[in-house]
Amino acid sequence: MPKPYRPATGTPIEELETPCLILDLDALEHNIGVIARLYQDADCKVRPHVKNHKSPQIAHMQLRAGGTVGGVCAAKVSEAEVMVQAGIPNVLIANQVVGRDKLARLASLALRAEMLVGCDDSQNASDLSAAAVAAGAEIGVLIEVNTSMGRAGTRVAGDAVTLAQHINNLPGLRFQGIMSHQIIDGAPDREARFTKGRADMQVVLDVKAAIERAGLPVETVSTGETWSYDVAPTVQGVTEVQAGSYVLLDTSYAYMTDFRIAAKVLGTVTSIPRPGFATGDVSIEAMASAKGLPTIEAPAGVRVTRLTYEQTFLEFDEGVTVKAGDRYTLLPAQEDMMVNRWDQYIVVRNGKVEDVWDITARGRVH
Amino acid sequence: MQRPIFKPIGTPIEELDTPSLVVDISALEHNLEAVHGFFRDIPVKMRPHVHAHKTPAIAHLQLSVPGNAGGIAVINVSEAELFAQHGFTDITLSSPVVSPSKLRRLCALTHTVKLSLPVDSAPGIDILSQAAVANSVTFDVLVDINTYPPRGGAEAGAPSVALAQQVSAAPGLRFEGFTTVGGPISEGSPDEMIVRDKANVQKMLDTREMAERAGLDVAVVSAGNHTHDAHVIASMAGVTEVRSGAYPLIDHRHWPHCPDLIPGARVLSTVISRPESGRAIVNAGQKAISRDMGMPKVDGRTDATVAGLNAEHGILDLEGDAIKDFQVGDAVWLLIADLNTSTALHDYIFAARDGVLEAVWEISARGLYD
Repeated sequence: MPKPYRPATGTPIEELETPCLILDLDALEHNIGVIARLYQDADCKVRPHVKNHKSPQIAHMQLRAGGTVGGVCAAKVSEAEVMVQAGIPNVLIANQVVGRDKLARLASLALRAEMLVGCDDSQNASDLSAAAVAAGAEIGVLIEVNTSMGRAGTRVAGDAVTLAQHINNLPGLRFQGIMSHQIIDGAPDREARFTKGRADMQVVLDVKAAIERAGLPVETVSTGETWSYDVAPTVQGVTEVQAGSYVLLDTSYAYMTDFRIAAKVLGTVTSIPRPGFATGDVSIEAMASAKGLPTIEAPAGVRVTRLTYEQTFLEFDEGVTVKAGDRYTLLPAQEDMMVNRWDQYIVVRNGKVEDVWDITARGRVH
Repeated sequence: MQRPIFKPIGTPIEELDTPSLVVDISALEHNLEAVHGFFRDIPVKMRPHVHAHKTPAIAHLQLSVPGNAGGIAVINVSEAELFAQHGFTDITLSSPVVSPSKLRRLCALTHTVKLSLPVDSAPGIDILSQAAVANSVTFDVLVDINTYPPRGGAEAGAPSVALAQQVSAAPGLRFEGFTTVGGPISEGSPDEMIVRDKANVQKMLDTREMAERAGLDVAVVSAGNHTHDAHVIASMAGVTEVRSGAYPLIDHRHWPHCPDLIPGARVLSTVISRPESGRAIVNAGQKAISRDMGMPKVDGRTDATVAGLNAEHGILDLEGDAIKDFQVGDAVWLLIADLNTSTALHDYIFAARDGVLEAVWEISARGLYD
């Protein structure tokens, strides 16, 4: 289908060309509402991560709903560019930005929006400063602290203190605070989430205390994830939560029962070459599979057994009737990786197309 | 469409914005010559499956090196449309089509393209025939045979011959021959895989013989997914074409099976953090290089390994010299495990020769799933 594919508003989803990525507007609004209600009156606010949905439209919905810091998180400079162009006034690039060209782009953005960036290296801080000064901009800096990811981030509090002092002395930079990402395994219950979430956040708060003892105010403590969205407001000192997955959700977050899966892929059965086995038109590239196979939402009695470059392999029970042309709906195991492979959401409500939204930041990995 | 910072042609390749998908043109040319050269003077031809790279510029290069079938294979209708727009006139689809709207699109394509369509069931043949008749066109049809491992496709032998006869008798359809897809490279030793693949293709050849005894003309016998043993399959009498997708750029999953080819596609990334002596973080994660079919590898280094691949980050374990060699800002070249799913992530291929940017190619068929 020549891009962009724009079915008319009001088109029943049964008539959509498949495969297509559909966005369930009721589920999306529900998810945004859950977060907005929790954070509306809390001291801690949410900073929605846009890397999951990559859509300025959804970012604006999140900010309008309330309970936020008035800005978003992005993973990359190029993603932040999309958001700033779309009128988002405040973006934290929750990542390191390295390289002369990228730093110049970041500094340029800081002339038009409030920009914050993660940092865990003193030379990188000096380079950030030089770029900000050259552009005549000011960039806020959050020191990234490692808690449980083993990825980027300072490993000991003393290094964070030294780096904070360095940043504080650099022109063009504003030392703003600290940030950290966390990960949790499996499908934890509420108690396990709270225990792990609080322990992780305490690591960050200990670093905050060390920096403050050295005489520097730590205005922002940006941490927490979708799985700890309800933990953060109970932890004194955390000022904002970087949550992204809650807005679209996927089956790996099935334990987060407050939210609903909002982004799904619609496919068509293409053949039933033998009893109990069918092929469908949704491929591995349309879903992503590193976190596991998608789950069939409908029809009942049908299972996904494999995704290939070309097809879905489906098995179904005796007594279940499946024929070529039938539709099926897949729930993703990894929503952000799925969304990153599509150019648009077909936005649906009550079984009909309501709108089509571009996934403007799709592919913005730079 | 993404807008990386473009650098002028002639820029040293490590100065590109990162992460970027970079193709070495010399490697690509070497691979095309190595594979097509084998097919040049034999009756069997290579039909490139272009889904692995999704890039018309590479597909045109493939058809410019003799030894090819003069046409390409694609997965779906939207890829067929895209490559037709880019001047390709002989296109084989490798998955069945049943939706009325897509069949109308295929009917429209037949006016400019010689299309071959697979079928694997009696209802599928009726659907194709009705669409062809309703739109006053003729479809060339291949009966898809299920061999190993189990997938779509009809059972070899009598059931497939029966489908061939049904196609032959159906208005609006022309029976062209048989097609199948070989097994994965992840099973067994190279010798075991060759035994397996030859047995698969033999089933198709036996079916061909049965069909001919039944009075059918079999013009095409097409064996797919044979990057790793294309030369073996090509030597089986009765095969007319071999389809392969990975050979022009050969990913590291296939490379051990094709040691005469050169990996031609890599992702250029940058070290963005060195939080511990034995750990480096690069700015290429699963959104820049896929891990659906395996982890990427650090090219040219045995002392740096990809320990993890998050959405936005690659996590490297370092030892030995790598500990001092990998500094924040340094370039790291990642070898791709799987081309198909990695080219699904990028809009452009930066094509280089001798370390210098020579061309920028659009991955025009990225994101075409229907």
